Amino acid sequence: MLEIDNIHVNYGRLQALRGVSITVAEGEVVCLVGPNGAGKSTTLAAIAGGVTPHAGSIKLQGRGLVGLPPEAITRLGVSLVPEGRHVFATLTVAENLRIGGFQRRDRGGAAADFERMLGHFPRLRERLQQPAGQLSGGEQQMLVIGRALMTRPRLVMVDEPSLGLAPMIVDQVYEILLSLRRSDGLTLLINEQSSKRVLQFADRIYVLRGGRIQLHDRASNLQDGKAIMEAYFGFGEQPAAAAGPAALGGVAE
Amino acid sequence: MNDGRLMRFAREWWPVVSLGLGLVLIVGVVGQLGGDQTRVTLTEMLIRMVVVIATYLFIGNSGILSFGHVGFMCIGAYAAGWATCNPAWKQLMLTGLPVFLREEEYPFLLAVAGGGALAALVALIVGFAIMRLSGIAASIATFAFLAIVNSVYSNWDSVTAGTSSIIGIPQVVGPWEALAFVLLSMVVAFVFQKSRYGLMLKASRDDEVAAKASAVDIVKVRLIAFVASAFLVGMGGALYGHFLGVLTVDIFYMGLTFITLSMLVVGGIGSLFGAVVGVLAVTLVVEVLRACEAGITVGGTKIALPQGAQEIGLGVIMVLILLFRPAGLTRSREVPWPFVRRGAKPAGEPAEQAQPAE
Amino acid sequence: MIGFLQNLIDALSLGSLYALAGLGIGLLFGILRLTNFAHGDFITFGAYALIVPSLDVMATKFIGGWPWYLMLPVVAALVVVMALLSDLLVFRKLRQASAPTLMIASFALGYIIQNTILMVYGARPKAIDMWSNLQQQVTIGELRVPQLQLVTIGATVVLMVGLSLFLGRTSYGVQMRAAAEDFRMARYLGIKANFVIGLAFAISGVLAAMTALLFVSQTGTLSHMMGVPLMLFAFIATVIGGMGSLVGAVVGGFAVGFVSVMLQAYLPEDLRSFRDAFVFTVVIVVLLFRPSGLIRAKALVQRV
Repeated sequence: MLEIDNIHVNYGRLQALRGVSITVAEGEVVCLVGPNGAGKSTTLAAIAGGVTPHAGSIKLQGRGLVGLPPEAITRLGVSLVPEGRHVFATLTVAENLRIGGFQRRDRGGAAADFERMLGHFPRLRERLQQPAGQLSGGEQQMLVIGRALMTRPRLVMVDEPSLGLAPMIVDQVYEILLSLRRSDGLTLLINEQSSKRVLQFADRIYVLRGGRIQLHDRASNLQDGKAIMEAYFGFGEQPAAAAGPAALGGVAE
Repeated sequence: MNDGRLMRFAREWWPVVSLGLGLVLIVGVVGQLGGDQTRVTLTEMLIRMVVVIATYLFIGNSGILSFGHVGFMCIGAYAAGWATCNPAWKQLMLTGLPVFLREEEYPFLLAVAGGGALAALVALIVGFAIMRLSGIAASIATFAFLAIVNSVYSNWDSVTAGTSSIIGIPQVVGPWEALAFVLLSMVVAFVFQKSRYGLMLKASRDDEVAAKASAVDIVKVRLIAFVASAFLVGMGGALYGHFLGVLTVDIFYMGLTFITLSMLVVGGIGSLFGAVVGVLAVTLVVEVLRACEAGITVGGTKIALPQGAQEIGLGVIMVLILLFRPAGLTRSREVPWPFVRRGAKPAGEPAEQAQPAE
Repeated sequence: MIGFLQNLIDALSLGSLYALAGLGIGLLFGILRLTNFAHGDFITFGAYALIVPSLDVMATKFIGGWPWYLMLPVVAALVVVMALLSDLLVFRKLRQASAPTLMIASFALGYIIQNTILMVYGARPKAIDMWSNLQQQVTIGELRVPQLQLVTIGATVVLMVGLSLFLGRTSYGVQMRAAAEDFRMARYLGIKANFVIGLAFAISGVLAAMTALLFVSQTGTLSHMMGVPLMLFAFIATVIGGMGSLVGAVVGGFAVGFVSVMLQAYLPEDLRSFRDAFVFTVVIVVLLFRPSGLIRAKALVQRV
């Protein structure tokens, strides 16, 4: 469904991605794992249109995405939940949710989805008229996932869903993501720092370090975690050239 | 090794020396070849260069845009004018002046220094408040400062002759006098940007949070640059008064602000080279447009651009530069060192930050 | 007491003008981080659109002579077109530019507009008779208030309520608020960047046009630099009120109007011509204590 072929992304003179290729088949759960600054966020940002690769191609069901503005890519069915949640703090919970649906042609479908999201995330219903900035971390994460789903995506990309959340909440988030994948037929592409979680949920795993894919395999083959650790930390290699400051993921202020 | 140290010294001072030599050459050649009108244009250009270099000292290093420097020019011009113009006239027209100014006449250089000093003092007071503000708010505040100076000087009749003019200022400034001050301001600007204050200021320009975390007192270094810049601009204003011989308040407002800013932007807002090149380039363009406004007579009909084409033309050029070459003609770099050292060190100073960042 | 109330109404009236201008500026700043120094010149353009292009000192009304229900929308439309053209030609390519670059660009744009008006209409200020019948006074209790001031305050209230409803209740308004808060995230949710920005410019243009009409009615004169003090005071208003906050722009506008009128009324005679300098001084003093403005708005300072 999604084919990323050898993309290179630079931030000024900093090479963030040096030839990354990833494929995601429909209905799969694919995870990108890697240390800070490896390029995971940059990869998602490149797909969503937040940054533009200067080489390589990104195709969604054969259709090229590179060069399209983010709003157009979203309309093609790709939705990004960036790192750090990014709720619209001064807007109410209801407004946050509704925004995702504004660009859809089917008003009725958007209204129905609004109700469905509240069904998936009942805690949001209690806080509908509150400014989203007042929600707890976990609630905000639910909100932004629901908001992203309001755009009726086929591919949902989540950048570090567990960041800054208590483990119990993270479990809930993942449960919801997976159940939504089943019920709505979604394809998931998730960035994670914790390889343990990834082994539990993913179909396939890519390990990124220093802007390159170091390892790629089915999760079932990687269960002992050793291969992932090696790729993650680069054991047994020359120390890689400094990966540079943490990739901004294209959604920095 | 003596040779090595000499080379290093030359390399370090090259950006200023090269510009200085170039300007001396220009003034010498144009001064000789051109007539009176050319000398007048040349002098005015050099005086503006003093102001633009001084403005660059603040804007280029701090990254904060200032619209108020022409206000300091006004302050310096009037202060110097008060000092050197005829006491008999002053006692009649400028009754609000303090006695030591009203009844005396002071030498030119002292007056210029005094103009700079008064401007610097005002900058210290005003800057104390303004430099705490965020970049954008500070810029707006400098715009307000310009308006205040204009308003106060326009209305304070007893001291500035209000909306009429101060006359009889000795016209002692020609190209060489102006050039001397240009060289002075170039040295001051260069010394500042190489000093630790300049370094700290540039750090705060590039990343305010990181600079603060490195114990840079941002308000203090900004203030130092602001005051130094105002001092030089004040002297530029004093020079202007002693070039024109006459002073009115309305010349120190929007038009002059726009021209000086455009000179800096066109040349390159982040380098001394940019300031100098910008003045040269814009002066050239303005002269061409002025000639076009005067028109040429072809077979009995006069073809000319309408009045006001100068300003509009300059505005359009500014916008074009911002769209296509935002770092200016020099790309905000200093004059490159022309000799390549064996060992393949790349020629030229390391590129300064291409644009002032917020 | 009466004197004070009269001054208060004066302050509200003047403050309304500054608040309207401040809103126009604050809107663009909120969404684009653009300090639009050309806003005053949009106002000037709207004002000059009322008369026939000529060099006469006595202006001949053109659109200005039409009945208000035609004049308002037409002037508004003209200024909106000017604003949208500004975006298209100048600001669109500068989306990623730094704040100082945007400032200079808007300054240059304003300069171009000013001098074009100068070229077409001449440098001398013109007299214009706009709604001078509204100069008649209305008696409220013991107060005698020129109708025009009431109209100004009323019009401002209407515009502010309208804007508020638009931002709060319509989907476009929600999109604009989202874009103002987090532009990138808004785009990731499918909000069209250029559309929202165009909308902001358009609304800013409408506000500029209304400000122009009210200002011209109050002063009865046109000059090519008339927009500059308005723009300055409007910017001061947004800085005092808290940049990035629309409420702050309005509060700041009324605050500046209040200080200005009070100074005008209560300053000793010989200091009155320095009123503006005093206003700015007061502003600077306020900023010494509250550098981010009276109303804490969105973070202009990076949160560490």
